[in-house]
Formats: sequence, C-alpha cells, structure tokens
Amino acid sequence: MRPLTIGRLFLQCAILAAILFCVMVLALKFGAIHVSLYGLGRDLLRVFLGKSTEISSEYSLIVLNIRLPRILLGAIVGASLSVAGTSFQALLRNPLADPYVLGVSSGAALGAILALLIEPHLALTPEIASVFTPLGGFLGATVAIAAVYFLGRRDGRIDSNTLLLGGVITASLLYAVIILLLTVLPSSNVRGMAYWLMGELSNLPSKPLAWVLRAGFLAATAVIYTTASDLNLLLSGEKEAMHLGVDVHRVRLIVYIAASALTGIAVAVSGSIGYVGLLVPHVMRMIFGSDHRILIPASAFGGAIAVVIADTIARTIAAPADLPVGAITAIAGAPLFIYLLRRRLA
Amino acid sequence: MKISVPISFIRSAALAAFLFVAPCVAQSHAEQTAAAPAKTASFLTVQDETGRSVRIPLPVRRIVSLAPSMTESIYALGMDNLLVGDTDYCDYPPAAMTKHKVGGAINPSLEEIAALKPDVVLLTKGLNRLETVQSLERLGIAAYATDPHTIDEIRSSVRRLAEVLGNPAAGDALNNKLLQQESSLQRTLRNIPLTRALFVVWTEPLISVGKHTFIADALLQAGAISIVESTQDWPQMSLEEMVRLQPDVLVFASSHSEAVTRDMEALAKRPGWSELNAVKQRKFAVVSDAVNRPAPRLLAAVEDLARQLHPEAFADKVASYKLAALRDRN
Repeated sequence: MRPLTIGRLFLQCAILAAILFCVMVLALKFGAIHVSLYGLGRDLLRVFLGKSTEISSEYSLIVLNIRLPRILLGAIVGASLSVAGTSFQALLRNPLADPYVLGVSSGAALGAILALLIEPHLALTPEIASVFTPLGGFLGATVAIAAVYFLGRRDGRIDSNTLLLGGVITASLLYAVIILLLTVLPSSNVRGMAYWLMGELSNLPSKPLAWVLRAGFLAATAVIYTTASDLNLLLSGEKEAMHLGVDVHRVRLIVYIAASALTGIAVAVSGSIGYVGLLVPHVMRMIFGSDHRILIPASAFGGAIAVVIADTIARTIAAPADLPVGAITAIAGAPLFIYLLRRRLA
Repeated sequence: MKISVPISFIRSAALAAFLFVAPCVAQSHAEQTAAAPAKTASFLTVQDETGRSVRIPLPVRRIVSLAPSMTESIYALGMDNLLVGDTDYCDYPPAAMTKHKVGGAINPSLEEIAALKPDVVLLTKGLNRLETVQSLERLGIAAYATDPHTIDEIRSSVRRLAEVLGNPAAGDALNNKLLQQESSLQRTLRNIPLTRALFVVWTEPLISVGKHTFIADALLQAGAISIVESTQDWPQMSLEEMVRLQPDVLVFASSHSEAVTRDMEALAKRPGWSELNAVKQRKFAVVSDAVNRPAPRLLAAVEDLARQLHPEAFADKVASYKLAALRDRN
C-alpha cells in the first residue's frame, strides 16, 4: 500500500465531499413536492450569493426549511454513526462491533421513552421540552455504554469478547424493558415510539438541538481523529501497541467516550438507524485501506452519503407517506453485510 | 387561562411575517404570488386542548386535517370547503377521500402539508404525535390539537373548534343537535339497568378499551358498562380474567356484521373464549366502526348500539308512539 500523504488525504476527502454534495443536491430535488433541477440550481445560487429574499416562498419553505434541514440532519446522523462504528471496530479489534450491537441504541431509546413519560409532570417551557426527549436519549445511551463498559472489564482490563457479549445482552434486556413499558403504560405519549425505534428523520429538530448536534459531531470526531495513529498501532494488538509507546488505556477511554457521544447524539434525534455504523466502515476499509487517518474522514463522508440516499428513498418511495429510514437501511444493509461476509470467507 | 411564551411568540411571529412578506418580495414569480395566501390582518391566540398556546391567522381559509375524526368534524360543521388536505385514512364522508392526501396520521409528509399553505393544521392527541406538532410549530404553521375523552367532551371540543375556526354558529347548531340526540337517548334508557359488556378491539390477543377512553364512555351512553377497569387506552386482557368476570355481551366495532357472526362461530370453538357465557349464547352486538373515532358521528353509532343492547327500551318507545297515534286517531 502506498504511504498516506497529506495530498492524497485531501484529494480523497475532496472526491468524497464532491460525491456527498451531488447526492445532497439530488436529494434536494426528490421529494413529495416536485422541484425542477433548474429552479433548484437557481435558488441555491441565490442562497450562496446572499440573495435568499429573491426565492419564492414555496421553495424557501419546502426546499430550504423542510428538505434541506432534513438532509443535513441525515448527513450528520450518518457520519456520526459511521465514525462511531469505525472507532468501536478499531477499539475492540472486532469487525462486528457497532453502536447498536453494543446496546447503545436500546439505552438511548429507553432514555427517550422515560423522558417522554416524565416530561408532562414537569412544567417545562416548550423550548426546553423540545430538547427533553433527545436529552433523555443521549443520557440513556451514555448510561448503557458505561454499563456495557463495566460489564466488559475483567481484572481491570477490557476483554473484547466479553464486552461484545455484554453489549448484546444489555441490548436485549433494554429492548425487553422498552416493550414492557410500551405495553403497560398509558399509550398516548409513546405512540410514535414504535416508529422512532425503527429510525426516522421526519421530525425537524429544534434550532438549539441542531447546533448541539453539529458542534458535538465536529468535536467528537476531532477528538477521535487525534488518536488515529494510535488506533492504527492498536490494530496490530494491544501489547504491541503498548510496546510502541501507545498509552492504550488513555486512547481507549477517549475514543470510547467520544464514540458514545456520537452515537448518543445520533440516536437521540433519529432513533435506531441500523447497519450504518456496521457496514459503512467495512466498505470504506475495502476502498481506502485500514489506515485510520483516512478511514475516519472517509467513514464520515460514506455514512453521510449512505443515510442521505436511504432517507431520500424513505421520503419518496411511498410518498406522501414518510417511511422510517431505519427500515430502508436494514433492508439494504442486511443482504449487503451477508454478501461482504461470504466474500471475505471465500 | 392563557400561558404566554414570549420567545416562541416572537419566533413564530417572525416566521409568519417572513412567510407573508416573502411572496410579496418575490414579485417576479407571478404564479407563486397568486398561490400565496393573502396578507393576514389579525391573529387569534387560543389554548388548544393539550394546553399549548396556538396563534391562528384570521380568517381561517385553508385547513389541513391530520386525523380522520377531525376530518369528520369539519364535514359535520359544514366547513369542508376550507379543508385543503387530509390523511390517507380519512374515508368518511366519502367526499373526504377526494381531498389532497398528505400521508398517514403518524407519518405525514411535512412537505405536502407546507405546500398546501394551511392557516391551521388540526390534530388529535389520541392519534397524532407530539413530534408532528413540534415540527409544524417550527415551520410557523399553526397546529391545533383536540383531546376528547367522553361524548360530552367530543361535543364541546367540536363546538370550540368551530369557534376557533371562526364559525361559532355552526358549532352551536351542531352542539344543539348532538345534545338533543344525547338527551333523548338518555331519556329512553333512563330506567334501564346497565349491561356488562366486553368491547373487543382485537381477539388474538384480546385487546379491549380502558376506562378513560371515549369508547368506554360511548358504551356507557348506550346503556352498557365496560367490564375492563384498565387505565391504559388499549389494554391487552387475559381471557382467564374475562371468564371470571363473565360479560353479558361482547361488542365488536365493524362495518361488516356478517363477518362478526362468522368470527363469533370461530370464537365459540376456541379454548378460553368458549368458556364465556356470552360466546356460548352468541350474545354480541356489532357497532359501526364510527365508534372508533371521537367525532360527531359517534352519537349515531351509540344510539345504534343502544337499540341492539336494549331493544325493549326502544320497543316501549315505539309502542307508546303507536298508542299515542291510535289515541289521536280515536
């Protein structure tokens, strides 16, 4: 493999960014309401030139206020899940590691449901109430990942297999609790939960939440990227990395927290969009190799592209009804995963 | 009692201002300017039944309904000319099916709703999601939600809706009509003991209705009491408990009574169900599926159910009418 140079890194990222841009423009075109590519180009140009007042109200409302925020949300959610997946896979040296396998999504879902149940009993202003459920999801994700982390510790060290098994067990336990809650409790508050559990992007996040999401994604990804070289050395084994001067415990802790934050943020706003964190890192590793200095940004772009495409399908295939995007990623992801698995075995 | 929330007011006002000013700025697009709503002179700030404060532009010219019950209410109020969009499930009256569809009640397309430029979107807490309301709010679209739990609340809710939409006369008229229907039914059933009923939403597993639902109240108005005491809306019940409680009659909601007769025969052969006396004796009533929607049509369904459960009360009524008619003739 050729050594990674700054030039190659930027070139490959630029190519991926260009693909993401094209996918987003196409995603802007397709939707329940028809928009012509010409009108779209004209209006986007106006936005870039700062002349957004010249855009007709219909376009600005539907394309800029509904479709664009949803596409950006999908891109950030996809990038977050994918970077989290890459990190977990490197950290645990296990290609099956994924935010969902580790029980984070179930934790987030439970947290969000509990928040929904508590919310009516607190006198919150609408501004705070709109961030309350996602906040519950985020806390749930963090608690779940901490629990799995301690389950996975053996003699003060993390054992990858125990951790993965602990994650699987935690996930199924939390799901059982969720099902129990949904059956036992008065249903008016948890109605959309079944839908949310499948993963969806149809609700517009509030302004403060959207900013938390963007800032959180950038910060957590940056933190993970600072450990990219260490993650490369970790691939050859924990002891080997330690001999090469990597502070394994520190790297593990940092990446674990940052990746959990990424997952928590993504799940809190979009529910359980599966397979992105598992599959996209695999595909990116096949294309770009397993050097994390390129793999992390490539996964971010790849995850964004995958979720934006999946959500465009979810928005249009049964229009005007909105399908949960998680169903699309699972339908596309499961067969693809099996194919990759068999190819690797062969 | 009105809760005022300055920030959201300013924000929605700014959004609303933007929505109404923008089309005027974009003069070059003649067709879009024509389609845009006219400048609104005033707003009505009301509290909806979930306690949220809603700012509705006046007069209301364009309504989108996100629940079949709200669609039915709009038709019952005779305001369907203002209804510009509804959901895939809005099938009554049949004319509602020809309205522009914006998706399902749980997963409507925000784009479709926004494209219809509604002055107000109608929802009901029992069916729609809070997230939908919040998303609409963020787009500066007024979202008014109802939450009726009894027949009386359905009446007052529809009356209030008419008021909010700027047509109080229609609301009063409908309210009076429903009130008359209701009190005449109550008079008829005055001395009738309540039948102990099991409302069957689903048979496998057995799902019934909780005591705080409008369906439980509808049963009560029809001279029956639901034997299910649950505080959940759609509780899953154990058959053992039902065998212990032994309902006098099973009530099904369906538009096909023949199908229910067939189901009843099948239930009679099933373990558990066959232990219910009501199943053994084939004692059941079929009520129109209007009973599933908190809308004005519910009262007609209630009366129909009452006739099936207490034919004797109505027979007396018919008999006394006949008697009176005979007396008049003589």
